[in-house]
Amino acid sequence: MKRKLFTALTACVMAGALSCSAFAAETISFWHLGTDEPDKTMWNYAVEQYNTNDSEASGYTVEQVATVNDQYKSKLAVAMASGECPDMYIHWTGGPMVDYINSGYAADLTELVDKYGLRDLYTEASLAQASVDGKIYAIPVKNNSIAVFFYDKAMWADKGYEVPETVDDLEALCDQMVADGITPFALANQPQWTGSMYYMYLVARHGGPEVISAAYDGTGSLVNDSTIYAGTKIEEWVEKGYFPEGVNSLSPDNGDDRALLYQGAGMMLQGTWQVGSIKEENPDFYENLGVFTFPTIADSEADQSVIVGTLGDNFISINAEGEKLEEAFKVAAYYSSEGFRELTQSLGNIPPLQAATSEEAVNQDLITILGEASGVQLWWDQYLPSAVADVHKTATQKLFDCSETPEAVAQEQQDAMDEYLAENAG
Amino acid sequence: MNKNSLAYKKQKSVNLCAAVFLMPVILLMAIFLFYPIVQTFINSFMKWNGISADKTFNGLYNWSKLVRDTDFWRAFLNNVKIMVLSLIIQMPIGILLATFLDAGGKKFNIFKILWFLPLLMSSVAVGYLFRYALATNGGIISSISQLFGGGKVDLLGNQSTALYAVIMVVCWQFVPFYMVYYMAGYSSISSDVYEAAIIDGATRSQYVMRVALPLLVPTIKSAVIMSVTGSLKYFDLVYVMTGGGPGTSTELMATYMYKNSFVTFNMGYGSAIAGGMFILITLVAATIMRLMNRGGDD
Amino acid sequence: MAYDGVQSKVTKRKKAVSWTIVMILAVFWLLVAFVPFLFMVLTGFKQKLEVIMGTAFDFPETFFTENYISIITDPGFWNYFKNSVIVLVFALCILLMFCAFAAYPLSRFKFRLRNFIFLVIVASMSIPIHVTMIPVFQMAVKTGLYDTVWVLIPTAVAFALPMSVFIMTGFMEGIPKELEEAADIDGCGRYGRFFKVIFPLSTPGLSTLAIYNGVNIWNEFIFAFTLTQSEKNRTLPLALWNYQGQYSSNTAMIMACLTLSTVPMIIMFIILQDKLIKGMMAGAVKG
Repeated sequence: MKRKLFTALTACVMAGALSCSAFAAETISFWHLGTDEPDKTMWNYAVEQYNTNDSEASGYTVEQVATVNDQYKSKLAVAMASGECPDMYIHWTGGPMVDYINSGYAADLTELVDKYGLRDLYTEASLAQASVDGKIYAIPVKNNSIAVFFYDKAMWADKGYEVPETVDDLEALCDQMVADGITPFALANQPQWTGSMYYMYLVARHGGPEVISAAYDGTGSLVNDSTIYAGTKIEEWVEKGYFPEGVNSLSPDNGDDRALLYQGAGMMLQGTWQVGSIKEENPDFYENLGVFTFPTIADSEADQSVIVGTLGDNFISINAEGEKLEEAFKVAAYYSSEGFRELTQSLGNIPPLQAATSEEAVNQDLITILGEASGVQLWWDQYLPSAVADVHKTATQKLFDCSETPEAVAQEQQDAMDEYLAENAG
Repeated sequence: MNKNSLAYKKQKSVNLCAAVFLMPVILLMAIFLFYPIVQTFINSFMKWNGISADKTFNGLYNWSKLVRDTDFWRAFLNNVKIMVLSLIIQMPIGILLATFLDAGGKKFNIFKILWFLPLLMSSVAVGYLFRYALATNGGIISSISQLFGGGKVDLLGNQSTALYAVIMVVCWQFVPFYMVYYMAGYSSISSDVYEAAIIDGATRSQYVMRVALPLLVPTIKSAVIMSVTGSLKYFDLVYVMTGGGPGTSTELMATYMYKNSFVTFNMGYGSAIAGGMFILITLVAATIMRLMNRGGDD
Repeated sequence: MAYDGVQSKVTKRKKAVSWTIVMILAVFWLLVAFVPFLFMVLTGFKQKLEVIMGTAFDFPETFFTENYISIITDPGFWNYFKNSVIVLVFALCILLMFCAFAAYPLSRFKFRLRNFIFLVIVASMSIPIHVTMIPVFQMAVKTGLYDTVWVLIPTAVAFALPMSVFIMTGFMEGIPKELEEAADIDGCGRYGRFFKVIFPLSTPGLSTLAIYNGVNIWNEFIFAFTLTQSEKNRTLPLALWNYQGQYSSNTAMIMACLTLSTVPMIIMFIILQDKLIKGMMAGAVKG
């Protein structure tokens, strides 16, 4: 009976294996993150434009699927693992993009970019971030998101604080703040990527972006002077009380870090997307919101004008061929149009377009910072292969409760890197 | 046995009846559970990032890595902690609450309904609320500690306490399930039994201790098995509240598996973790079941 | 109660004291269980900045009803609600029927594969749900059920089955043999006994399962997001997405949304818990 049953079951499963795909041929499926406002409006722009202007002529319609960040990643992974990758999807470039390209899910867009004249519209650096070996595989869309310090101009003026130029200045300022009973850094480090910003910046200031790129291609190690410096500084700062109590359990998803800033903490190192949140939820505070880039290290040989962040945040890759590829590309190209630029700027974003401007004081400052930067270090957790990125985040979190030495933290990251390189060799 | 005997015929019709009744369940489980777990075991012998169609046979590589992976065993140990504490905390509270409600009958309905609420709440809400209840500043435990002259306590941010803090919340959420389960157990004890005990002069507590609890033993045994399998594959609140952190201090087998499969693109290894989980949980559950049944025979 | 009269005053006082202690503990647990729920409801009445500035356990400064109103007046929310109800009703009916079917032979028959099948069911309880995501996704796509409400029904049933069969088998084992034998004398066969005796007597077990699985199916999330994609086919747990962005979320709206979605479950519990009072079995014996 058992055997019969098993045969019956196999037959059932087989019967399910009709040739059927999740997505119809004449629709272009497009997965993104726009579940809530204002992102919903932003993503909807190109879809609406294409469906009203081009649909009739081409015969294709775009069907967009919005999924929230966390679940987006697993939904995309499940779809790809099943060989059902959507025609257009967003990602964050870096290590995972290389995996998508190698798996054949991201078409080479270089020719199309030139054909439609997009190369002159985007900033060079943002296209560079979307390229591997000189070929463009994705279209940058959303926001030039970099990590900067936010602070309350009125409060600083009141107390006589000045924007620090160097890390030494920063430490002097923080000591002053501690003496004044102010927590210098508003940090909520439960999800780990927030604290990682301090680490990335300190490494970049000390050794430049070469540190991480050398480790990635196997020519260097993550156990070096720069990472040890960064780890030591963070632990020193923890000891001196620069960070809030319970830093590793505060959550930026709840806005714990912004709350600290509103309640009088000194400054907050966070991504520039915070501008929109602050403007919306606390207009009074927004009036006095100031930004400055991470201070420099006076005697370092590394390039001190590098900034940490991403030039676009969300990038679209296309998984299609021939005619469909070109049509999907036309959809993505709407995100470089004048109309879109105006729309997204009005939503508080700084699009990765050369023509990006802003009427808001804070965003003007940010555009200046971006313009002065000689290069951009992509967030480590997006730049590194995912497996190493995960170790990077959990390891650096241990600096914030001083539970592991800077050497051990660096070593842990290097071990993950070694394992990745060994498993993917050849 | 004689093929024409009455006993044989009877057994044959029993078998047929059993097959008819079991068929729908076995069919559904085969499609949605057995087939995926077989797939998982197949994938565990593959080198596969979970993105590309490119799967290559990798022999025992993933499994030997799993056996030597200290992170996995730490996660297993964390699961065991959840299991033990769940048993110690949830079972007695569940029984106590059910006993109270059984004694009170309908007039305690308000208790019954309000006590049930934690189970209804989604992990998102529980995670949000308890992050504040356990917070360093203004959190309940932290405030009590300060009241008694202690310092502030960062339960969730501290690697040595985070797991226990989450376990407390998990228990809080699941106590109502065991309460309902034991209530159902009580409700299947005939009221004749209660009346007989009272006529014999037993007090309420004597009835509970000497009559009801022994009758509840099978219910308790089942509850133990459910609690064990549930806590060994637990995922939800840990993922929501700590994501495995700080560091890797609250990593569980399920969160570790999830990370490898869907976050760090190592589906082959993720499958090995899942396979390992499946084997370990089944072994633990079967062992406990056997121990309990042996204990029952004595 | 007649014997009360012969008991001394001391025991009476003892009894009063112990009842007081029990009541204090009961009220204490009531607070432990209820306070978080209360503040989930209250957080729904807060404004955005208020949520960020205060803790979850502050009372709202003003009762800001906008959140609740905007959700209730959103047709999208009611569409999610409708889908959730469809999944819940179908899945629960099928689940309860199937698991009672399976528990009957497992609890009352002797046959060769009995122990093996029971072990398989316990082993199935150990299967982590995430391993099924990819195979189930593939099956859903191939059968054309992907992105429909219907695909969520068999998945919900299948994943609730192992534990439900396990629980149900335990309950059915507890039903006294004599009842069944009485029915046997009345001329009921094996099938008749199930429908006439066993199934009706399993009400406490079935109610427990309905409550527990009902809540799980109502809050089911993993298959809801992997197997559906268009907004019209989503269930309630995904309604939260309208208030969650890449970097920030509107907690007050989320709590309001969660509060509203628990209401049907509370009603379901109030109805079903009535079946969990003692005397069920006695009534059956006498009747």
